[in-house]
Amino acid sequence: MSDKKVILVVDDDVDILEQTKILVENAGFSVVTAESSNEGWLKFQEIKPYACVLDLMMEEYDSGFILSHKIKKDAHGKTIPVFLVTSVANATGLRFDATTEDEKSWIKADAIMNKPVVIDDLISKIDEFYEKADAVK
Amino acid sequence: MNTDIKILIVDDEDNLRTAVKKILQMEGYTVSTAENGTKGISIGSSDDFDVVLIDLKMPDISGMEVLARLRQVKPNTSYYIATAYASYETAVEAIKLGAEGYILKPFTPDELLHDIRKGIEKRRLIIEAEELKREREANLLELAFERSRLNTVIKSITEGVLVVNKDREAVYFNPAFIKLLKADELELARNVSDVLPYPIYEMIDNMLNDSSSEIKTQSDEFKTDADGDLYVEVSVSPILGNDHSMDGVVLVVNNITTYKQIELLKNQFISMVSHELKAPVAATLGFLEILTNPSIILPETQQIEYLTRASARLKSLIEMVNDLLDISRSELNTVRREIRPVIVQKVIEEVLLLFENEAAKRNIAVEIKYEENIPLINVDPNEIERLLTNLVSNAIKYNKNDGKVLISVHKSAKYVEISVEDTGIGMKPGEKEKLFNEFYRAKNEFTKTISGTGLGLSIVKRILDYYQGYVNVESEYGKGTRFIIYLPYIDEHNTNQH
Ligand SMILES: Nc1ncnc2c1ncn2[C@@H]1O[C@H](COP(=O)(O)OP(=O)(O)OP(=O)(O)O)[C@@H](O)[C@H]1O
Ligand SMILES: [Mg+2]
Repeated sequence: MSDKKVILVVDDDVDILEQTKILVENAGFSVVTAESSNEGWLKFQEIKPYACVLDLMMEEYDSGFILSHKIKKDAHGKTIPVFLVTSVANATGLRFDATTEDEKSWIKADAIMNKPVVIDDLISKIDEFYEKADAVK
Repeated sequence: MNTDIKILIVDDEDNLRTAVKKILQMEGYTVSTAENGTKGISIGSSDDFDVVLIDLKMPDISGMEVLARLRQVKPNTSYYIATAYASYETAVEAIKLGAEGYILKPFTPDELLHDIRKGIEKRRLIIEAEELKREREANLLELAFERSRLNTVIKSITEGVLVVNKDREAVYFNPAFIKLLKADELELARNVSDVLPYPIYEMIDNMLNDSSSEIKTQSDEFKTDADGDLYVEVSVSPILGNDHSMDGVVLVVNNITTYKQIELLKNQFISMVSHELKAPVAATLGFLEILTNPSIILPETQQIEYLTRASARLKSLIEMVNDLLDISRSELNTVRREIRPVIVQKVIEEVLLLFENEAAKRNIAVEIKYEENIPLINVDPNEIERLLTNLVSNAIKYNKNDGKVLISVHKSAKYVEISVEDTGIGMKPGEKEKLFNEFYRAKNEFTKTISGTGLGLSIVKRILDYYQGYVNVESEYGKGTRFIIYLPYIDEHNTNQH
């Protein structure tokens, strides 16, 4: 691989996974994919990505939450943006949106995005994250 | 006239007792006397006196104690303390203990009579007020047909009922009302504003304030438990008098908790369905966007692959919609069944024909084993075919290449048992539990490349429920799975008798 920045994409829908890969690559990044939260966690530790995009509902309806929580506890994970994507934000009956402070602090993701991911949004959110991080330094 | 009025004198001084007794008897009062405190208490509590005059200083017990003890049993009597030793403290204490006043010795007959009359008047007022209250309650009760049959009926219904008059006072209510609204403090003639939850009181108040000529019943739903366990529907209707003016309102309270719970389940189901429908649409759209994106150039083989994958997703979407329609039909009970005696083996053979190709492609051997004398079952053949199709489809889909499927039919005491056994990927114990839930699909390394909607087994379950049958699952991860279907069969004995 070249010196392109690596983004980890985790989704159990192989079609969506492949599409995201193509689009993110097209935007100039290099992409590593994983089809389950376990695989995602292993790849995360191995490649130490520049950003993570995690599907919310995988093996369980909240697998993405748990994975993002784990990543954000990791020393490297604390320094990178982690995004959750879901098609059920605001869904009736099931609560997946992080509304209370408690939920936000628990979830730890930097943003929850709607599916399908709009790549331009994703890229600008990644840039924003790093600009803010630089400003703090 | 005055003989109706009873007065008691408690004093240890004989002269004074006789003198006072004479004065009062001349006025026509009925007078009793007690020569010490102990007797004063026993006489005073054995009759209803209008006025009791008590000497402060007596050899056995003090006048204050006599007063205190008598007040406890006869609160409506007027008491006077008589003493020669007037002091501010004793006066205050006497009043505190409930004495009407304080008579300073020595006194003139006029002074005595003045105080006695005041005491009599005071007692009359108290008793009148009490009688008025009792009468009023009796009226209210009558208005609310206490003692009538209707009352018994309303008391026994599960709906809560409350009647409120124009003054916002409770005129009638039944036990269910107290229970549903947890209004333990509610009592007759009490203003309901501080007993009912404010929004419910507001409904009552608004209606009573409404001066328009046509007032309609108002209904609303409320949660009555802080922890949200109980939902009620409250309807308020006007009670119109003969002159068409409003006499009050009646509230009817219904427990709608079960209905609310079903509504919640329904909403959850809808949100789950939306999610499941969105996934294939999003995947298809994603492929189309990539294929039409001018900045992404793909080799032709890959373009064709993506188009193929997109149409596979759409096909699965159609299957899912068909399954959902099936489910909704069975929920709405609009399934048109043609129930008749069916030979299970025949249906199995028909179903297997559908899967011949697929099984051959993956070199899966399908074997059938029937016992003799399998009885007929009374079912809609289409429904049983759908049930078996789902099971056989799974046995092949979740099998390994070169695997095996064994279908056997067995007769037990009550059921025809159909077993569909495979040598496939099996399931983990946790996965087995959720199998029959709508949209549940086990997610493990074997299943990720196998497509499906997760509705097949939930349909199997629904069909079995309808025929009072059931299903058992045995499975070992990586080894294989066995579904056993139990369907009640036609009992020859019974059918012959009819
Ligand atoms: N014979 C089997 N062996 C292993 N796993 C099975 C078997 N049958 C069912 N399962 C598991 O149970 C899940 C639910 O099955 P179900 O038939 O309801 O849905 P599906 O096969 O995924 O979709 P479809 O609605 O297309 O049938 C499957 O996704 C699979 O994980
Ligand atoms: Mg199936």
